[in-house]
Amino acid sequence: MSIIVNLDVMMAKRKIAAGDLAERIDITPANLSILKNNKAKAVRFSTLEAICRELDCQPGDILEFVREDEK
Amino acid sequence: MNLKWTSEKSLRLSRILTIAVLALAVIILFLIPLITQWYDDVSGKNPIMPVLTVCLYLSDILAIGALWELKTLLANISKQELFTERNTKCVRIISWCCFGLAAVFAVLSFWRLLALLVAIIAAFVGLILRVVKNMLVTATELREENDFTI
Repeated sequence: MSIIVNLDVMMAKRKIAAGDLAERIDITPANLSILKNNKAKAVRFSTLEAICRELDCQPGDILEFVREDEK
Repeated sequence: MNLKWTSEKSLRLSRILTIAVLALAVIILFLIPLITQWYDDVSGKNPIMPVLTVCLYLSDILAIGALWELKTLLANISKQELFTERNTKCVRIISWCCFGLAAVFAVLSFWRLLALLVAIIAAFVGLILRVVKNMLVTATELREENDFTI
C-alpha cells in the first residue's frame, strides 16, 4: 500500500508502550498491532484524532505517502 | 423440552440432510449398473445402457463433489465463518458441479429428450449459484475492509 503508517516511530519518540496507547485511544491491542504493521485498510478520523491527541502530533507525523515505484 | 425452532436447529437439520443425501449418492454409485439395467428393461425403447451408465457415473461423482462442498460450507457456517474465501470457493465448486451436470444431461438428451429438462434446471441452478458466489466475493471484500478499518 502507498500509505505508510509510522506509528511505531512516533511511539518510540514519545516512549509509550503499545498496550498503554491502545488503552488510551480505546482500541484493542490487536487492532493497534494491525495499524502499526501497515495491515490496516482504513483509519477512522476518530482513531486518528485520538492517536494525535495522545502522541501530541499531527496526522502527517503518523501517515506518509510513498509512491509504489519508490519502494 | 424446548420445541422452539432456532437457526441453530435449522443448520443442524441442513447438515443432517446433506450428510444423508451424500450417503445416498455414495450408495447409488455402487448401484448404477443395476439402475441402468432396470431402466433398459422397463423403458422398452432402444437400449442405452452404456451411455446411461457413463452419464450416471459422471453425474453421481459431480453430485458427491457438490454435496461434499456443501457439507464443508455448512460446517464453516456453524463455526460462524461466513464471508471467507473458503466459502466462496465452496460455492464456486458447487456451481461448476451444476454446470457439469448440465453438460452430462445435455449429452444424454441426444438419446432421451427428457434429460434436456434436467440439463436446463442444473444449468439454471449453476447460474444462480454463480451469482451467489459473486455476491460472496464482494461480501468477503467488504468484511475484510471493515475488519481492517481501525
